[in-house]
Amino acid sequence: MKTAETIFEDGGHKWIAIVRDPKRPHYIIDTNEYLIVQDDDAILCDPGGCEIFPAVFSALSAEFDPSRIRALFSSHQDPDIISSLSMWVEFNPDIKCYLSWLWADFVAHFGGTEKTFVVIPDGGMEIFVGGLRLQAVPAHYLHSSGNLHLYDPKARILFSGDVGTALLPPDEEGLFVENFDHHIQHAEGFHRRWMGSDKAKRDWCERVSRLDIDMLCPQHGAIYRGEDVARFIDWFANLEVGVLKS
Amino acid sequence: MTTTIQRGQQLRHIVRINEEIKKVIATAFTINLMAMNAIFLAKRAGTAALGFGVLSGELRRFAIDLQKQMANLGEMTYDSVSTVTAMLKQARLNQMVERTLEICSGRGKDLVEDALDSRLNGILADRQEQSDAANHRLSQMIADTVQLVELGSVLVRSAKIEAACGGKLSAPLTQVSSDFEQSIGEIQGSLEKLTKHHFEESAA
Repeated sequence: MKTAETIFEDGGHKWIAIVRDPKRPHYIIDTNEYLIVQDDDAILCDPGGCEIFPAVFSALSAEFDPSRIRALFSSHQDPDIISSLSMWVEFNPDIKCYLSWLWADFVAHFGGTEKTFVVIPDGGMEIFVGGLRLQAVPAHYLHSSGNLHLYDPKARILFSGDVGTALLPPDEEGLFVENFDHHIQHAEGFHRRWMGSDKAKRDWCERVSRLDIDMLCPQHGAIYRGEDVARFIDWFANLEVGVLKS
Repeated sequence: MTTTIQRGQQLRHIVRINEEIKKVIATAFTINLMAMNAIFLAKRAGTAALGFGVLSGELRRFAIDLQKQMANLGEMTYDSVSTVTAMLKQARLNQMVERTLEICSGRGKDLVEDALDSRLNGILADRQEQSDAANHRLSQMIADTVQLVELGSVLVRSAKIEAACGGKLSAPLTQVSSDFEQSIGEIQGSLEKLTKHHFEESAA
């Protein structure tokens, strides 16, 4: 079963990371899910694939009443991101799923109804959870053609989807990046291959470097904290992407 | 898990049923053409083959009716595919809910138990009812088809007798009636297989 770890807490405002499942079958990629809570309201970022739903739901239940999750945020359309949608709708038929306008019709193949989807325009939008204002940040072509990240200005945390991903070996599965130079070798191949547009990458780095970020939380791998956030953005800005290299 | 395997088996049986339906339609089309030729042949044989000509006309009508009947059966199996696919999806969701229940605790467990209860008594029960009704309709239609083919078989037997009285064209008429008989035999074989697959599909 996965574990739920609170990575930020300020009164009723919380970020809970649902991470690492030792029982996960080896052929399924590991994913991180993030629950953003404001008092009685919550949004779950990239809820994950159908196969890992039991692990996510049960870990999350230990920390928060799942019936109070009002919305899902889907950074893009991939199965490891949102194929569990039908399960979440099963538990709450009124649940909303925020995602790029580009993917609503496609993700509907995973589940949901006409009223499930709240489409986000290319420029992003504000999403309110309880009284908390979150900002959907455009990250198109990183890697998906309709891709969004979610920024919490109050907690100063950016949920960065696949950006920042590191494919960690089993003995290096810490929740936070502890040694950037060592860690980044596990991120390099992924970013080179999966991030297809150098122009989109530079634009994202330029915009995100202007945000006040204490934690950058990717959907796979470890969380970047403090100075490692800027370090990562600089590293990414200078990385050659969209190339077939081993 | 058992339920998803059963649904998978059902889908495979439906595929086999559809294959048999296609075979019967193709054979019925052949009977139609053969019957048309037989009508011309009977006309050439004159009054001696009058009865054979009438029976060939009946066989044409039979072939057309059979094609229609099989097309309807095809549509019904399409409906069955939709129902079984929906049940397969529900069974898979059910598996996930059951797996969640095994490892969940606290408030989450209560939610999962409620969801499972409502699934078993609601969606799954409704789907099962739909599936049973569709199976019943399919059984009825297969039984009607078997009766129709029995009529075809009677017509062919009569055609064989009439061919023997076909005067100088008796030999070719007998050959045609044997061809009819062989085609009806193929249709009966397909219907037997189709019935078997339907029986196994219903039992799965």
